[in-house]
Amino acid sequence: MPAVQDTIDRVRKIDVDQYKYGFQTEIAMDKAPKGLSEDIIRFISAKKDEPSWMLEWRLEAYRRWLTLDEPTWARVHYPKIDFQDIYFYAAPKSTPGPTSLSDVDPELLKVYEKLGIPLREQEILAGVQKTDASELEEVSDNVYKSGRVAVDAVFDSVSVVTTFKKELAQAGVIFCSISEAIREHPELVQKYLGSVVPTSDNYYATLNSAVFTDGSFVFVPKGVRCPMELSTYFRMNEKNTGQFERTLIIAEEGAYVSYLEGCTAPQRDENQLHAAVVELVALDDAEIKYSTVQNWYPGDAEGKGGIYNFVTKRGDCRGDRSKISWTQVETGSAITWKYPSCILRGDDSQGEFYSIAVSNGYQQVDSGTKMIHLGKNTSSRIISKGIAAGFSQNTYRGQVSAHRKATNARNFTNCDSLLIGDQCGAHTVPYMEAKNSTAQFEHEATTSKISEDQKFYVMQRGIPEEEAIALIVNGFVKDVIQQLPMEFAVEAQKLIGISLEGSVG
Amino acid sequence: MNMHAQPQRTPAETALIDAFGDRLSLLPGDGAVMLKRDDAIETIKHGLPTRRVESWHYTDLRRLLNTVPDFDPAAMAKAIAPIVEGSAVVSILNGKSDAKVPVLEGVTFQRLSEKLIDGSIAPGLDPYGSDDAIGALNTAFVADGYFIDIADGTKLEKPIELQNLQAGGQTHVRLPVRVGAGAKAVIVERQTGDGAALSSSVSQIVLDEGAEVTWLVVQEQPETATHLAQFKAHIGKNAKLTLFVMNAGGKLVRQEIMVRTTGEGADFKLRGINLLAGDTHTDVTMVLDHAVPHTTSTEVIRNVVTGKARGVFQGRINVHQYAQKTNAKMACNTLLLSDDGEFSTKPELEIFADDVICGHGATVTEIDHDHLFYLMARGVDEKSARGLLVKAFVAEVIEELEDEAIVEALEARLDDWFVAHG
Amino acid sequence: MLEIRNLHARIVDDGTEIIRGLNLTVKAGEVAAIMGPNGSGKSTLSYILAGREDYEVTEGDILYNGQSILEMDPAERATSGIFLAFQYPMEIPGVATMEFLKVAMNEQRKARGEEPLKIPEFLKRVKEAAASLSMDMAMLKRPLNVGFSGGEKKRAEILQMKLLEPKLCVLDETDSGLDIDALKIVSDGVNALRAPDRAFLVITHYQRLLEHIVPDTVHVLYKGQVIKSGDKSLALDLEANGYAGVIGEAA
Repeated sequence: MPAVQDTIDRVRKIDVDQYKYGFQTEIAMDKAPKGLSEDIIRFISAKKDEPSWMLEWRLEAYRRWLTLDEPTWARVHYPKIDFQDIYFYAAPKSTPGPTSLSDVDPELLKVYEKLGIPLREQEILAGVQKTDASELEEVSDNVYKSGRVAVDAVFDSVSVVTTFKKELAQAGVIFCSISEAIREHPELVQKYLGSVVPTSDNYYATLNSAVFTDGSFVFVPKGVRCPMELSTYFRMNEKNTGQFERTLIIAEEGAYVSYLEGCTAPQRDENQLHAAVVELVALDDAEIKYSTVQNWYPGDAEGKGGIYNFVTKRGDCRGDRSKISWTQVETGSAITWKYPSCILRGDDSQGEFYSIAVSNGYQQVDSGTKMIHLGKNTSSRIISKGIAAGFSQNTYRGQVSAHRKATNARNFTNCDSLLIGDQCGAHTVPYMEAKNSTAQFEHEATTSKISEDQKFYVMQRGIPEEEAIALIVNGFVKDVIQQLPMEFAVEAQKLIGISLEGSVG
Repeated sequence: MNMHAQPQRTPAETALIDAFGDRLSLLPGDGAVMLKRDDAIETIKHGLPTRRVESWHYTDLRRLLNTVPDFDPAAMAKAIAPIVEGSAVVSILNGKSDAKVPVLEGVTFQRLSEKLIDGSIAPGLDPYGSDDAIGALNTAFVADGYFIDIADGTKLEKPIELQNLQAGGQTHVRLPVRVGAGAKAVIVERQTGDGAALSSSVSQIVLDEGAEVTWLVVQEQPETATHLAQFKAHIGKNAKLTLFVMNAGGKLVRQEIMVRTTGEGADFKLRGINLLAGDTHTDVTMVLDHAVPHTTSTEVIRNVVTGKARGVFQGRINVHQYAQKTNAKMACNTLLLSDDGEFSTKPELEIFADDVICGHGATVTEIDHDHLFYLMARGVDEKSARGLLVKAFVAEVIEELEDEAIVEALEARLDDWFVAHG
Repeated sequence: MLEIRNLHARIVDDGTEIIRGLNLTVKAGEVAAIMGPNGSGKSTLSYILAGREDYEVTEGDILYNGQSILEMDPAERATSGIFLAFQYPMEIPGVATMEFLKVAMNEQRKARGEEPLKIPEFLKRVKEAAASLSMDMAMLKRPLNVGFSGGEKKRAEILQMKLLEPKLCVLDETDSGLDIDALKIVSDGVNALRAPDRAFLVITHYQRLLEHIVPDTVHVLYKGQVIKSGDKSLALDLEANGYAGVIGEAA
């Protein structure tokens, strides 16, 4: 666990301004007028040069959305969102369609450089000290790989560049922005878009269907193991702008893909809305591993500003023996409303959800998963680690259900919460529904604070209090960190340390 | 939301609202009690809760309780023998208390109708929250019951058995009990009968400092009855409450349990067994508030689901902000024995204090195959082996109770159920 | 090296006084055994030396190299060279033993103004120390103390002691839960660390451990006070005649 010391050093370096991604960038932007209407949707669709079926699909979703009420069941509180006060489309002027890095606005490249995101293809993700790596292998069971990562960079409403496209194409993998996929691969998009999260699914998903502006598209054909990690990096920059991205990943029979997503936004006093939809489809024997490190701006110490993160993520294990695995590290956003789910439709399919949710300041997190067992011999596993500090509220909400025909459905859920300080709250709301007598569900949950005994033991070895706590917290989340690709694991541990900065009194 | 038109009233909603108008003059109490009744019927007028109301997510009362029986039954219920011999028995037959009550040193029994008429019970009639449909239904129509006061320091040797017996129709009763400081008692609440009744029953108990109570709810309604019940308790300083709930009957049953620790050192134990059969729906919903520091609780619920039965356990433990050093543990284990049965569980933790140890576990399983194999290897045939294991699964909870007479009595009820449904 | 003067201490939570006027001096290079019946305050003394917040010193002082340590937190005491081998070492899930050792060793170095250890040097030291205690390196990749047997935990404590190179080693009932082979390995580990500039406080209930770690002085603790001090023969006397005699004598 090389990041522990690192986390601590990092925490120490950062003084008042904990959120290092809070800078803004002046970039010439192309924007739609504020607010939402059929005209705005037509504007977005026209900007993207979309076929008419896509526009119709959007309009239908919009009309549906007008009839829906904002959900209130989650344990989050916020003032009513004025949808007429949001820009639904904002794109850097140099787009559309940069075909290579040289076409991209240099200012924009600087943004990603500053964020540590490699858009130049020879680079690897920051965060791994390769010189130390070989030696460390003995220390840690983690294997350091000099993994190359293909990146799709989404800036406000549009994808600005996607790297490694050619090399991926040689393997038969399509990795591009969803806008490009709609134009270039309409048959695939039409077949799969909305097939996991229908346009009518829920308030935010329906809104997203109407106004989504960009996102990533991945198609891994039959029998192909994607030769590198794929990644999307989301950046919200423009003021008063909502980001509504849509991601669609399809793994055909026997295919494998690992996909990472990261997100940041500038520090602003106003709240910004992020309402994304992610759909995953795994056919027979396919596997999709989806990892997120969510670090949207959480708001300041008084709870002012921050991102409202209302996200619908769902994977459909459509084929037999397919597998979908969600791993998330949620440290950002003022409000998180997010339940990455698996529909275990295929026989012998597997779903996994590994989550770390850290809340501090006035953050509110309501996150968890749904494992819907439909096929025979399906299994699912949920490991959730919540850490609440400051004045934050941290809720795990999860549903596990076995339908009548889900013979031998298996679920194991473990959900632990840690409280740091006495002004925060940690809540656990699991729903278990069994309709099949051969189902076996096992659920366990605990809530506690860091054990004084553990802290004393660690400090007795000469480790100061704040570092002792960081060490114990990193141990607490280890099961989930292990699920992340190495490059993200290091980054995630740093983030957790930073997020908890100042929580130890 | 204005966008959605108010759905049409169900026959049950209409019947209840009409009945309230018709029976107004027959209901005991005026003034303060009447105001509470008026508020309560307003809640019913807004409609019975549907699955969209979070606390009713798995029991869509509006759909499940489509019709209600008329108020007056044709037959008269009869008192039954208590489960523990020698108990002091007070009965409510067809919703009416008996003027004749046992004489027991340190214990005062008072007919609830009297307390409704004199208005002294009015403050206790407030609903628990906006989603408290059972509280509202009961407050609107409650006509009788008993108020029981156990004086400070009274140690009862034998149980008090409260029998609420119906023969169809509607009954709405309330059982407020105060247990004085240092007093000790075992109270059995019997809920049974033989008609297609709608019965609402609310038990309210306050434990003063150092009181120790074991309260047993034995619910054996016929498979035609709707039974909506509440058990509310405040546990004072260093007081101990053990609540045992056995559901072994009823067509539509909801047993709510609302407990609050109000003094340091308070301890709550919930032990429950749900024996579910036929085409029935049984819901046990608990809300436990650890409201002060240094209080403890454990909850163990065991469910056996057969036939087309649907079972629900919702358990929420709230640990309030200053309730440091709370220790709370909850477990809900279910044996799902038929393909047509279902069980849903929602064990929640809501925690606002950091220096606590809270946890819950929940399982849904089949019979352990290793255990089955072991018994069969010893020559027990499969059917008997299964029976033994299922019974052992729930009997474990009963055997935790210390009082031998109680354990024997409950195991006898258990045997009866297995004979009828095995 | 260590001087405890008229120490009084109580449990913060309920105010129970456990240490009632304890005096003890341990010189550099000395191995002092603390013996006493159950409940005499032996383990409490070790916790107070290490700075556990559950106990409050109400009177007296603890001087370490002439300086009072009462105002120091546990980590400061540890980096100043005080090491406590716990009777019940804590399990820390998710934290690999190796990683923990690295962080702890580097904290010691930092306190001495030294650079962090290079990884190869770190690994070398750990491997050597583990080999001397017959410990498998595979064990050190597991989370700290998690799933270790009683004997493994005690060995891991001695391993940490070896690597952190403390000046004052407090061993709290290190012999409990050890079979005879493990006891031998652990004692050899301790004996190898005996040095003119290092002192040991060996807390034990039985004489058994002292056959392997031979003390220079033996002190009997009873009701929070040292009621008798002597050389190693005192331990043998206690073994033969029990505590009753000594207690009676003091009373």
